[in-house]
Amino acid sequence: MNEIIYIFKSGRLARKDNTIYFENDGERKFIPVENTKEIHIFGEITLNKDVLEFLSQKEIILHFYNYYEYYVGSFYPREHYNSGYITVSQARHYLDTNLRVSLAKKFVFGSISNMEKVVRYYNNRGVNLENILANLRNLKDNLDSIVDIPTLLALEGKSREIYYDSFNEILKDSQFFMDKRTRRPPKDSINALISFGNSLMYTTILSQIYKTHLDPRIGYLHESNFRSFSLNLDVSEIFKPIIVDRVIFSLVNRGVIGVDFFDKRLNGIYLSENGAKEFVKAFDERLNSTISHKTLGRNVSYRTLIRLELYKIEKHIIGENVYEPFISEW
Amino acid sequence: MVDNIKVSGTLIESYLICKRQAWFHLHKIIPFQDHPFLEIGRLIDETTYERDLKRINLESVQIDFIKTKEGEIVVGEIKKSSKSKDIAKMQLLYYLKVLKDLGVPSKGILSFPTERRREFVELTTEDEEKLKRIVKEIENLSNESFPPPLEKIPFCKNCAYKEFCFS
Repeated sequence: MNEIIYIFKSGRLARKDNTIYFENDGERKFIPVENTKEIHIFGEITLNKDVLEFLSQKEIILHFYNYYEYYVGSFYPREHYNSGYITVSQARHYLDTNLRVSLAKKFVFGSISNMEKVVRYYNNRGVNLENILANLRNLKDNLDSIVDIPTLLALEGKSREIYYDSFNEILKDSQFFMDKRTRRPPKDSINALISFGNSLMYTTILSQIYKTHLDPRIGYLHESNFRSFSLNLDVSEIFKPIIVDRVIFSLVNRGVIGVDFFDKRLNGIYLSENGAKEFVKAFDERLNSTISHKTLGRNVSYRTLIRLELYKIEKHIIGENVYEPFISEW
Repeated sequence: MVDNIKVSGTLIESYLICKRQAWFHLHKIIPFQDHPFLEIGRLIDETTYERDLKRINLESVQIDFIKTKEGEIVVGEIKKSSKSKDIAKMQLLYYLKVLKDLGVPSKGILSFPTERRREFVELTTEDEEKLKRIVKEIENLSNESFPPPLEKIPFCKNCAYKEFCFS
């Protein structure tokens, strides 16, 4: 079982012989390098090249977040799944507009379909969301006619706007009312939760991409040119509704996270350290929960499911199977 | 398209097990490294035959170990289990052929440390012909644009490509 480590405290990450430890106030906590594949760092830490070299050797990714819990960047060790063939195929699907649009559409299709699943779940439980469902269905039907990325992105944005309208109905606590989606900085608690959850989703998917032959720098829906990683953003669209948003609903509706779990910093509202810890805990539990996989014939965790999704994309770009996004059954 | 392929011993093994797997190897689509069987393989490799010359890279092949016995060179291939002995044997025979072509005649030893079993093998003309045919087939496979279609075989069960194939 691979462990994911989240560090909230400030301190020092250091190497000791063939292991690493985190030191804080003179207290040392050793990190099991053989089982750890990713470390998320929220605290202020210092580290040296010796640690990075060792982490690289053990193929462990570090994800860094800043004071506002925004994703800053990753230490992405030298690739270990190198296939020039896959990289070239991946680039070919980016450079050819038709190939790019048809793959990008699949991400949007998956995204809207999973939003529908979430909305329908609550609709079936007495929250009237028929209107939103109809609008989402309508947008999904319009996907077919789209031939360029900007129109596709606009439709994706529109679908999310419609979808977020359901949040005020689904969340029972009126203190989590959302006026509109705000980023950088989030203006209210619900936006803070969405931003934080989405950041975690991006890094989680990046960690899985590292375990495949795909290059995270080449995305299809999101522009590859202006940022370092974009494939993880594409794939996130599919998983955000069923992982991030479901975690949010569960934390708020069960009263695990209340308004006292937020801090006001620099005009915005952010999760406090305790809030972030609660979120990470629920998020990790969600990723480790399993569902039955038909063709594999066994149960897989959502984390593994993400890797399987990436394999499907690999098979699409090498021309073996047409990619169909994962759509939740419930 | 793969140009100037050099056929390795593991490629011979892959090809005989599953042509699809061989196609992946040819395209450097390596299997999932966290698969428990791969980890077991690495452990067996690290802990057995420590006294002998280990992992020799020759041309395109990587030999598990080499030792000399009564003036003869003996090439060894280590396997976790003897379940697919015939395939392992072909892999080893291929090493013997590569060495023979280099002017170094040798014998082979097939070793299953976890079963405490081993077996000696020698290269025959018939084997050489068979290996030549296999190498030619692998070269042809490398030029195929797509992997051979998925076919469920008993090997799938413990294969490190299983998640890739069945995702």
